[in-house]
This record gives sequence, structure tokens and C-alpha cells, in this order.
Amino acid sequence: MTTEHRPHHRHTKPTAADGYPTATSLIQQETENILLEHGLSNGEPTLQKNEHLRFLARNMLQGFPAQYSSQDASQPWLLFWTLQAFSVLQVGLDPGNRQRAVNKILAWQHPKGGFCGGPGQSPHLLPTYAAVCALAIVGKPGPGGGWDEIDRAKLYDFFMSLKQPDGSFRVAEHMEVDVRGIYCLLVTATLLDIVTPELVKGTATFLASCQTYEGGFSSASHPFYSIETDRVLRVPRPNLGEAHGGYTFCALASWVLLQNYLNLDFSSISGPGDQPESQWDTELTRDKPEIDVKKLTRWLVDMQGSEIELGGFKGRTNKLVDGCYSWWCGGAFVLLEALGVGGLQNLTARDVEVDDIYSQAAKGGKGPAGEQTEEHEGWDDIDESLFNRKALQEYILLAGQHPAGGLRDKPPKAADSYHTLYCLSGLSAAQHHLYPSHPRKAQTLSIWKDDDSSSNALRKAIFCDMISWVEEEGTARIIGPATTNRLNATHPLTNLTISHTEGIMKHFYGQEVPPRPIPKPTGTKKVAKS
Amino acid sequence: MSTEDQDKPLFSELPEWADVVPIPQYETDAPIAPILYSVEYKDATDYFRAIVKAGERSARVLQLTQELIRLNPAHYTAWQYRYETLLSLSSSLEAELKLTNSLTFKYLKTYQVWHHRRLLITHLRTPLPELPFLNRCLALDAKNYHTWSYRQWLLSHFIDDEDLWKGEIDFVENTIADDVRNNSAWHHRFFVVFGCGVREGEEDRARVIKRELIFTKQNISLAPNNPSAWNYLRGILDHNNLPYSLLTQFVKPYTVPLNPNAVDIVDLENPPPVKGAELPCVYAIEFLADINEKAGDKESLLKAVELWKSLANEHDTIRRKYWEHRVRDALQSPASA
Ligand SMILES: [Zn+2]
Repeated sequence: MTTEHRPHHRHTKPTAADGYPTATSLIQQETENILLEHGLSNGEPTLQKNEHLRFLARNMLQGFPAQYSSQDASQPWLLFWTLQAFSVLQVGLDPGNRQRAVNKILAWQHPKGGFCGGPGQSPHLLPTYAAVCALAIVGKPGPGGGWDEIDRAKLYDFFMSLKQPDGSFRVAEHMEVDVRGIYCLLVTATLLDIVTPELVKGTATFLASCQTYEGGFSSASHPFYSIETDRVLRVPRPNLGEAHGGYTFCALASWVLLQNYLNLDFSSISGPGDQPESQWDTELTRDKPEIDVKKLTRWLVDMQGSEIELGGFKGRTNKLVDGCYSWWCGGAFVLLEALGVGGLQNLTARDVEVDDIYSQAAKGGKGPAGEQTEEHEGWDDIDESLFNRKALQEYILLAGQHPAGGLRDKPPKAADSYHTLYCLSGLSAAQHHLYPSHPRKAQTLSIWKDDDSSSNALRKAIFCDMISWVEEEGTARIIGPATTNRLNATHPLTNLTISHTEGIMKHFYGQEVPPRPIPKPTGTKKVAKS
Repeated sequence: MSTEDQDKPLFSELPEWADVVPIPQYETDAPIAPILYSVEYKDATDYFRAIVKAGERSARVLQLTQELIRLNPAHYTAWQYRYETLLSLSSSLEAELKLTNSLTFKYLKTYQVWHHRRLLITHLRTPLPELPFLNRCLALDAKNYHTWSYRQWLLSHFIDDEDLWKGEIDFVENTIADDVRNNSAWHHRFFVVFGCGVREGEEDRARVIKRELIFTKQNISLAPNNPSAWNYLRGILDHNNLPYSLLTQFVKPYTVPLNPNAVDIVDLENPPPVKGAELPCVYAIEFLADINEKAGDKESLLKAVELWKSLANEHDTIRRKYWEHRVRDALQSPASA
């Protein structure tokens, strides 16, 4: 007899230190001891929804305690993390508080375009993403609704003012270049319908240059310029920093967001050679940039901690697991599927072959054929994800929740707004498996209203791709009591809910989206088996 | 928040600020989701908003931004405004660097303090004293992302400075010796050896590759279950388009349980696992499976499948889905037909 959830039967093999302790292995061991204690707790892992809602409501209505002054330049983030955590928990705000939120967000818009970390601060790409996404949640069209108050023309100029010769962007005037800023810019531009070839030329090439030998992405790369042409050289293009979960999510999501531009720009009809040269032409941008998806996949799966780490994700090789990487790494897997790695299409008709070839190998007397553990059946027959969805949910539920409400990096740390959202989004990504649906994309394309602008083809492709993400019916997998633990799915590229993503895009593109089937309640079942 | 200067007067109490009308943050009385600021913080930011609005560039702006940065080192606008003010006043950037030193030690995890440093060094063009400074930072936090990426920026920006570069391989060697599992150090090694082009004295690439392979294999033999070293090993081969099968003989002893009767042999090319090694090692099995997959014949492919299955079902069960994906993926390739 086996049961799906039995913590005391967990594999508890510590990470091998090979009798050679170093600073890394010592702190790893310490962490494993703490996590193991949490993993041993009895009973079904349950999301303490009410405690988390109280935590969020306290911050929102009473305010953030004084230690949050360190995030005074990230006020849009504090609001976005809070609003989006409510959304993931399937809670909406009353109209009065929605309007108060809209008013506050609009006070962050800079007269020269873009949003600031707070009133009177400078515009910056990161708070711009947070402010626009917060408006997607609480805003609406019309006067005072927030959406039509966004100055998109000035925002576009602000974006262009930050662009660098290597296709990257500074996060603000004089400030650093990194892939977080690019992600924030691309999501904002995609939601608000201001992507142009001019804006994104060379950016994919920059992103590709940030992939490290490990497979994940670094914060940035360093450009070298040719003395003769003053253009960025193909090599050397060293990474600044090692492969990192946060940067990897941002780079991968940006890469996916740029696919339509790349496909149009490098298509046979209008190759880059046909276009007038621009300052973002480099030796490199004459070729379609590429990333090593196989290597990236390997690195991402390697970031998942083992059973003794309760299956949480770490952000770098040989670092500790941390709840926020549940989203940055756990949320990246469906993006890989958008690039053709793993996923449903990959699976069909292959299972038979795997079993065939394996039984051949097993007949030779080798391989632990009899050890196929039964306990995974029933879960796996429909789960085609490349990471361990069940284990990630356990990490968040058993170690990520602070008993007093809010979620955290790991015990015994305190909860904070950032970890609360990214643990919840990660939990959601582990529960729901979304994929870009070809039929839905075709449907969206068929109702697109063309205009005669030169950007029609690009805008259409971007819009229809964003709308194409769906959750396959019956593929949600929820650890613990399903009615309590179930979260809303979020859009893999924006980390907003699907309906908030579609709502704001419909408005700015002036387009309609096909209706979505109402999900059957039987689509999510509690996984418990004896 | 700072607690050290409880008695420090507020800007609103100082006569030299009496001409400035502070600007409160929000016009509404009760904005949603407020931060419950301390009195000092509210005071400093109210005056900062007034200064920014007036566009004032003066010595007292440096004073104000220094105080604000001390209260909140992540206040990027304060840094940005301070930088512009330094330039417009032609202030001493040497003095600013000194001040930044102490702020850097204090706020190692803040983006802004590191970027400010970058702006200063870009102007000052004095990279050399940065190295001992960075070493002190790494002594406090050996994996700090900002410190490492700053070091890599510094070396890239001053790529032709031989004095800056000459000790870097020794430095990274020592850092890896301190903690063989420090991935930041391994990444830095890749940056130094392969990331920045070929340096003088390193033109003989065959020799460099051999040196790197031996270095990595020795470190694997010391602590085999170290993904940083295995990833670096893959990095050397991938970057130089070398086949993984070059290392078949080295890898094999790491894919099976430790042989308790093994005699100590000194083999630089194929250093064996140390006595305490916990084998088989997942990364070695994975490596051997990759070698077999690449070999291209059906028998090798079956061997690879068997290795992946052993990872899926026994040695690396958390990643079972991935190893099964590798099996499927390999079976789709022409070699399996
Ligand atoms: Zn974290």
C-alpha cells in the first residue's frame, strides 16, 4: 500500500559532502536539517489562506511597518505584490479601494514618461512594470480609471532614451543595464501595444549574449566595440555574473516575448538586409540570434532541490533553496514549452517506445526494472512537466508559509511582500499547467481587425500569442485539500492572471478575444490515493 | 534604518534649510498601502523632493543625499541626483570613492552602491586599488552577485590593463581552494580563461585547455558531488567544441560505488575519487549518459537510456520527469531509428 502524501516516508538522504566540508556544504547541511523538520510535520499540507489574506490586508489598509522604508523606492512593487497576491488567492478589491489604488499609481507617473519608485522620484523600468501591472489589476478605461491616463507616447520616448548600442537598456538614466529591466520594458510595451521594431532591434542578441556556460542567464554582458566600425563585436562578450534564477526568468520570458519580432525581422520576405541600417545594427544582429535551449533546460531542472530540501528551487548552483525561485525557476518551465521543449506535443505516441526500449534494456539483466515506484501512478499519466510539481508544492506549503501569515524564503525567516507573491505564483505554476494553444491562437487571429499600419503584422502576432495561453482541462494538480489550496493560474509571461492580462490588452489593442470555456469543477482533483 | 544618530537634528530644524519648503509625498491624507515612515526618513525625503523640484545643485544637496542614502541605500533617485550634482559641482570623485567604500561594506547587497562605484571608476580610471577592496568585500560575502559582476565589469572595462589582470588566475585558484563549491568563483574562472578573449601568454589554447581539464578533474576527485566543477568541465568542452568522450576513462569510476580496495595511484589525467567520496555520483552518471547518447550507435543509446533510468528511479528521483524526457528526446533522434 502506498499513499501519495506521507511525509515520514520521505527520502532523507543529505546532499553528499564527500567527507570534504566547505562553507557551502556546512550551510547546506544546516538548512537541510531545518527543512527536514518542517517536512516531517504530519497532516495534509494546507495553504493558510486566511492568515495570508490577513497579512496582505494589514499591509494594504494599515500600512507597511517602518522597516519597509528600505523599499521606499519600490512603492509600485509593494502595491503590485500585494494586489497580485490577492488575485492569485482569488480575491478582488472593492471599488473604493480599487480607486484609491489607481489614484496612488497615477501619482507615480513621471511628467516625462514612465513610472517612478514613488512620487517625486525618477522614472525607472522596474517600477514601470509594477505600476502598469497594478493598473491591469485595479484600473479600467475612462476618466480616472487609470488606463487612459498612461501617457504611452512619453513612455515610448522614455524607453528609447534608455536604449544602448548593444540592444540593451539602462533601467534609468545613468543607471545599470540588466535583463530585469528588459523584461519589465517588454511586458509593459506588450501590454500597452507600443512594441516597434525600432524599440526591440538588437535586444534579442543582447539577451542571447547573457547565457552562461552553465545554461542559465547572467545579469548582463559586457560589449566590446570595433575600432573601425564602432559596432559591438561578436566576441568577446563576457557575462557579468553567473547563471541566476531571477535573471534567467527575465531573459527567457523576454526571449519568448521577442519571438514574433525575430520571426518577422528575419523572415525571407523582409530580412534585416532590406532595412535601412540603424545604430543597433551590430556585427551580430545581421544573424538571427540563438540560445542553447537544451542547456537552459538542464540548468533549470538542476535548480530544483532534492527530497531533503523538500523540492524547493535554488537560484544558483550550490546555493540554498529559496521560496521566491518557485516562480523564477518553477515558472520558467512553461516558457520552455513555448520554445518546444517538453510539453504535451512532445509526449504523445512516445510513451510506448520508451517502455519498449527500456524493457529491452531490462531484459539484458541490467537496470532497476522492478523499482518503478507505484506511488507516482495516477499523477504522472497526465503530468508532462519537466520539473517536480508535487515536490515544489510541498516546499511552499510546508516550509514557505509563515505561521503568522505571509510567505517567505525559508524557515526560520520572516515573511515579506515579495516572497508572499512569488511563493504563491510558484505554487500556482506548480498546480496549473498552461500552454500556448494553437486552436486558440488561430481563433484569435481570425477575429483580429486589421489596420493598414506598417506595424499591423507584428502587433497582430504579439497579441494573438499572448492570448493563446490556456490551461488544459483536467491537468491541474493540487497537493492538499483542493478547495482550500487551489489558486488562480497566472499568465506565464506577465505573472498577472489570464483575465487581467486579456482585459488590459483588449483595451489597448482595440481587439476582441475568443471566449474561454468555463473550467469544469472536476478539472481539479485532490491527489490522494491508497 | 539608522539608530546611531538619535540626536541628529532634522532638516526642518536646521537654519541652513529654512529657505526650502518641504514637499510631502502624497496630496491625499490616507493613501492606500502606505509605508509607516520614521520621522527622520519623512523629513529627509520631504526636503529631497523639494530640492529635486527646484533643480538645485549645491554642496548641501550632497549633504542631504548622503543622509538619505544612509537611511535608504536603495533610493536610486538620491544616488542619481547625487551623481549629477557631483559632476555639476566638479566635486572630488576621489573623496566620493572613499565615502562609497564605507557605504559598500555596509550595503553589499544594494545595486545602487555598486553602480555608483562603477560610474566613479569610469571617470577616475583607477582600477588597480579596486582589487584589494573587492577581496575585502568577498571576505564578508564570498558569493555576493554584485561584487562578482562588478569585478567582471572592472576587468572587462580595463581589458588591456596587464597589471590589473596579471594576478587574476591565482586569485581565482585561491578562491576555489577556499571553497571548492563556490560557484561564483568557478564562473569567474570561466570569465577569466574563456570569456574575455585570448590574453598574452595564453595563445597556446591546447595547453590552456589541458590545464583547465586537469584543474577541474582534480577538484572533482576531491569532492565529486560538486555541480560547480562538473558544469565547468562541460563548459570547457562545449566552448572549445570538444567531445565529452575525451573524458570517458576519467568519468567511469565516479559512476559506480566506491571501490574500497582501490590503491592510491597518481594519475594526473584521470585522478580517482578520494576515500570519502559518496558514489555513484549523479553528475558523473549524467555525463556518461551524454557520452553514450552522442556515440550514435544503438547499443550506446541503450546504455544511455539505462543510465537515465537509474537516475530517474534511484539516484536522482526528484528529477525523474527530466530524465524520462531525456530518454524520449534521445529516442526521437535519427540514431535511434
Ligand atoms: Zn528569495
